[in-house]
Amino acid sequence: MRSAPRRGWRRGITQGAAAALLLAVLAPVLWLVQMSFRPHGAALGADPVFVPTMANYRALAAGGFPASFANSLLASTGSTLLSLLFGVPAAYAMARHRFRARGRIAMWVLVTRMAPPVAFTIPFFLVFSDIGLIDTIPGLIIVYMTFNLALVIWTMRGFFAAVPTALEEAAWIDGAGVWSTFLRVTLPLAAPGVAATGILCFIMSWNDFFFALILTRTHAMTAPVAIVNFMQYAGWEWGKIAAAGVLVLLPVLVFTFFVRSYLVSGALAGGVKE
Amino acid sequence: MAAGRTAWSLERRRAFTLGLIPALAVLAVVTIGPALYLVVTSLTPLTPIRPGSGLDFSTPFANYRQALFTGSFDHSVWLQLELSAITVGLQTLLGVALALLLNSESRFMGALRTGFLVPMVLPPIVVAIIWKVLYTPDVSPVYAMLDAFGLRPGALITSPVWALPAIALADTWEWFPFTMLMVLAALQMMPNEPLEAARIDGASAWQMFWHVRLPYIRPALTVAVLFRLIDSIKAFPLIYVLTNGGPGRVTEVTNYYAFIQTFNFAYWGYGAAIATLMVAGVFGLSLLIARLGAGGVEDA
Repeated sequence: MRSAPRRGWRRGITQGAAAALLLAVLAPVLWLVQMSFRPHGAALGADPVFVPTMANYRALAAGGFPASFANSLLASTGSTLLSLLFGVPAAYAMARHRFRARGRIAMWVLVTRMAPPVAFTIPFFLVFSDIGLIDTIPGLIIVYMTFNLALVIWTMRGFFAAVPTALEEAAWIDGAGVWSTFLRVTLPLAAPGVAATGILCFIMSWNDFFFALILTRTHAMTAPVAIVNFMQYAGWEWGKIAAAGVLVLLPVLVFTFFVRSYLVSGALAGGVKE
Repeated sequence: MAAGRTAWSLERRRAFTLGLIPALAVLAVVTIGPALYLVVTSLTPLTPIRPGSGLDFSTPFANYRQALFTGSFDHSVWLQLELSAITVGLQTLLGVALALLLNSESRFMGALRTGFLVPMVLPPIVVAIIWKVLYTPDVSPVYAMLDAFGLRPGALITSPVWALPAIALADTWEWFPFTMLMVLAALQMMPNEPLEAARIDGASAWQMFWHVRLPYIRPALTVAVLFRLIDSIKAFPLIYVLTNGGPGRVTEVTNYYAFIQTFNFAYWGYGAAIATLMVAGVFGLSLLIARLGAGGVEDA
């Protein structure tokens, strides 16, 4: 048996090492953040002392970035809401009823999650060009449903399976139908799950770069694509790039904090049978 | 009574089917539709500069022949294997090491755990610009530090030798939290008895890991590795922002090759064939996951 003080000492070292490692891992992110507050022209510098300024953010606000930010919000929110609307009832049905095709549906959802985006972009680009959905928000919303709908069906199924059926049975005995029971009894109980799933969908759409790069031009350009455009002119606008990067990562960090305990199931989305 | 129950179960069945159908219909439209379109396109020499090329099925397998029997696709596959092997290998080692370090009930460690997840949840484009900053000598704090010591190494991302390892390093940073998270989830469900027994038998820390913990986390680790393997094929923003496939073609991995052939050179048919081959590969790996998942992690 080890003596207590020695154990405490070892624990202190472990915790110190872990904290130092975390700082090293996060240092690149913090560097980007400080870069965004550097005065114009000093963005390139590494001098530890500078007067923080909002100049880069003001420059962003004056340009086209707010419109791209709004596009990102619209496309992500729209796709999240539609995916929940279609996916939640389906997930409930799959949780409560043993359909014969359940295994095959699960495999379908998994392959959708795994397929390389380039495989979706080629047909979507060709079809959208024909029907006028290129460079539109509805076009993006449809494309984002390719991954969001599968995510909703998978994660919500798990949440519904965790809701006990006894309450539903009581409602059925009182003569309530399947879906009115669902709305009045089950859905409120699974509300935290719906919120978590919605946040995961939002983050997945918000983080998209590839689909928006291919399927938008100017009108529906999202914030991640707008950042890249700051790189295409003769001189790189590092200050603006950093500020835009900070604005894009902010909502994701805030949301992630709320769903951190669901990250595993969200990331796997269908990879693991229960 | 029995008849009533049958009617009720029939009604239930109908209600559930009704709830399932709209979602499956939408899913079919946005996934199966494009998949069929992709395969059909891959059988044509479709390119916008030749009208009617999308309906030319005279040489349906020309694109596949070109992919399999000319060098550039092979080249991209080898690069992809190299990149995937490095990143998945490093992510697994780092992920397991950190999970072991952070596996503790203490609140302090719990808070640190959340912090380590940040690289994984950052928007990939932000990860790409963070590493662009680190790798660009004019703005990089790393280069500034080396400069202070009189060292002036060349830029990694424009070097034919170092461009791919540079991308691998950035990708490892972005995704090691995934393996860490999966392993932590498995470790936290591990019962205490085997560890106590090993401790009483005088096992060393390494023996405890190798003979007790590792067998326990192996299923979760396998699933994590397979997921990372599949997702490593899709790495895009990092390559787009850091090297754009270059210098030359040393970072033109399969996914990027498909992107360039399709959207830069407008060889739609050829790009579709490569994408189809990629989906086939991914499908194979997914089958493997589904099989392993069935007997593996319960609900990590």
